[in-house]
Amino acid sequence: MTNVADTAPASGQVQPPARTSIRGLIAQTEIDLRLFGMLLALGVILLTFNILSGGKFFQPTNMVTLAVQASGVAVIATGMVLVIVSRNIDLSVGSLVGVIAMTYALLMTDWMPNILGMGPDFPFRWLIALGLGIGLGALVGGLQGFIIAYIGVPSFIVTLGGLLSIRGVVWYLSSGAARSGLDPNFQLIGGGAQGSIGGTLTWILALVGCVAIVVLLLNGRRQRRRFDFPLRPVWAEVMLGVLGCAAVVAVAAFANANLWPQGLAARIAARDNWGPTPEGGWQIPTGFPYPMVLLLGVTLVMAWLATRRRFGRYVYAYGGNPDAAELAGINTRWTILKTFVLMGILCAIAAAIASARLNGATLDVGQSYELYVIAAAVVGGTSFAGGIGSIPGAVLGAFVMQSLAYGLSFMGVNSPGQNVVAGIVLIIAVGFDTFNRRRGS
Amino acid sequence: MFSRKLVALVGAAAVLAAACSSGSTPSPSAAASAAASAAASSGGGEGCVVGVSWNNFQQPRWAATDEPGIQQTVEAAGGKYISADANLVNEQQLTDVDSLISQGAKVLILLAQDQNAILPAVQKAKDAGIPVIAYDRLIEDTSVLYLTFDNVAVGKAEAAALLEKVPTGNYVLIKGDPGDPNASTFLPQGWDEAGLKAKVDSGDIKILNGPDGTFTDAWKTEKAQSNMEAIIDKANADGNKIDAILAENDSTALGVVAALTAKNYGFPPLSGQDGDPANLNNVALGKQYVDVWKNSLELGKAAGQAALQLCAGTAIADLSITVDSSVQPTAGATPMDFTTPGNNVVKSFILQPTPVTADTLNLPIDAGWYATKDDICKGVDPATGPAACK
Repeated sequence: MTNVADTAPASGQVQPPARTSIRGLIAQTEIDLRLFGMLLALGVILLTFNILSGGKFFQPTNMVTLAVQASGVAVIATGMVLVIVSRNIDLSVGSLVGVIAMTYALLMTDWMPNILGMGPDFPFRWLIALGLGIGLGALVGGLQGFIIAYIGVPSFIVTLGGLLSIRGVVWYLSSGAARSGLDPNFQLIGGGAQGSIGGTLTWILALVGCVAIVVLLLNGRRQRRRFDFPLRPVWAEVMLGVLGCAAVVAVAAFANANLWPQGLAARIAARDNWGPTPEGGWQIPTGFPYPMVLLLGVTLVMAWLATRRRFGRYVYAYGGNPDAAELAGINTRWTILKTFVLMGILCAIAAAIASARLNGATLDVGQSYELYVIAAAVVGGTSFAGGIGSIPGAVLGAFVMQSLAYGLSFMGVNSPGQNVVAGIVLIIAVGFDTFNRRRGS
Repeated sequence: MFSRKLVALVGAAAVLAAACSSGSTPSPSAAASAAASAAASSGGGEGCVVGVSWNNFQQPRWAATDEPGIQQTVEAAGGKYISADANLVNEQQLTDVDSLISQGAKVLILLAQDQNAILPAVQKAKDAGIPVIAYDRLIEDTSVLYLTFDNVAVGKAEAAALLEKVPTGNYVLIKGDPGDPNASTFLPQGWDEAGLKAKVDSGDIKILNGPDGTFTDAWKTEKAQSNMEAIIDKANADGNKIDAILAENDSTALGVVAALTAKNYGFPPLSGQDGDPANLNNVALGKQYVDVWKNSLELGKAAGQAALQLCAGTAIADLSITVDSSVQPTAGATPMDFTTPGNNVVKSFILQPTPVTADTLNLPIDAGWYATKDDICKGVDPATGPAACK
């Protein structure tokens, strides 16, 4: 899905590895073995569930459900990577998601129609609500970031305070009662058959992805030649291009094999006068659901910020060695503050997905997200020592964790069992990673 | 390094907890005018100070219905209502009870945070000659009056409504938090009493999600939603159709409705309990079949009446309460013996829950429930909607 970011050439390679062994051959392609290993792990998990369920698990509908369920946590995990890389932590994300989700719900059910005079027909209500939510997220994130970066209170404490107090605010906003009935357009953010981009757009998106992969590969090669960096062998470039494109097209085809439920198709057909039902029923591909598209966009933007922008490089520099970064003239405080603002914005996006999925908000939306998000980032290879972590890794981490939860749920394993497995996998994943790093150094 | 953080964390949590619990209970919202009328029957409560210790006033229910029920009954008879909120902390509740006693409480109504941790407070009250009412939650002490809704009957009402609507077919069971005895024992016991187990044994009903159903951590709506999505996917993959969904309460039922909506599955009959506004709205919209409603206005009223009589010196065994016939205890208006899980026998009033379907939505509206007609009928087409929304 997000191969664009993975396959982007890593610059600064000193010597081309010797072409003597399989290890050497793989090294020449410069594939990130960590990410590749995680993809493999994800594949193994899906395959195992598929076998256990007698081939019923690995189907488009189920995989789309899984992706939608993972998207909220994955969106926040992309930001958590930067926070952890810069040696901080954010425990307040779950509560922030809760308060923003409740804000969306109150905006659309109460404040907009009753106070602001924006009835159900007011144009772009969903966008205004989303904008206000993102603003609120940035504000709260900025406030926490300011206390952490400029006043110097440890992030653990500041965001722990946030976790408790922001959750309390949710109660005061709602008096504890659930709110439902969001704007129909806003609900689309949550996915479902109508909340998907449809077959055609999915193919177009896949095509754009393919072209982007090829362009990035060509561009990388040109840049390397220009600066006299060692080039990847041509066979490796071609292989990456072909595999990348094939993966993108396969995912798109898989998503398009997910069809609208017949009942819904029949209802819409009757409403919009599509004519008689064709032989074998309506075959309308749903394609990618909106939350997945949102996640894709967030991942690309965040990966670009982290690896291509000065801000991102500063974050990694600070995480690697705070003193050196400071002495090198980086405005470290401003950089840290920005990571928390970013976190607030991502929480607002995740809150939009969560509340749209629920068509409202309850008191407990987002509860324990902080744990899932941190787990996703850490399983995705982010190191608590700082300076190390990748955004596609965190997204994959979120998918690994959610595939376990969804798969166990699918197999009828109850939540205590799910928690046991999730906890063990978290420890194994990080333990394996630590072992590998120690051996590598 | 990490342990230092941990110490700081514990410290910060303690400071916060202390800060939260020092705040006093907010004054009640004006609701439940019905409570006042019944109070007249008790009468003569001048000088009666009723002290109420809430374990967690943050839950909306207490402020919305229980407190007005008690307060209006007590005040209408000329008594005085005082209260404190323990904010989920056992020790705080012990201190609260002390301070209620020192403020001159003649009767205590305790919503215990923990049925055993509260015992020192009960002992203190006994020593001072103050009668104690265990409100909504049991206290393991023979001297108390236990006043609650019948949780087994809630489960029974949920299952009875669904079994009547869908006598045979594929059922999904959505349960609450596995650590809550209501979720794991009482409600399922009610389901079985209503005939679920017999029908499963005879093969009339098949449970799609395992024999025990699916538990929902902390009764979380989001968790119920993702569990239900997986169950729908599994049912579709197996070629099974879901005919009915037994959900234990409203927060989980809300998650089920969200999952059904996302999957465009339609809305098979679904149960719940609590009478939450969003769920009663779903009943009106046809997305939830039954919501078993515990009219806690009546529970508050009953507590107020019992407190006034205890103040006047009536013995617990001679108490008599007047509540709406819809919640009337099966044992009548006098206390009956209740054997606790700890094998204590206490006197009790156990009120009956009310199943609310689209046909009986007028019940909560007429009773002055905190879910108003506007809440319940939101988005309902008056022409085709239930009678209560016309």
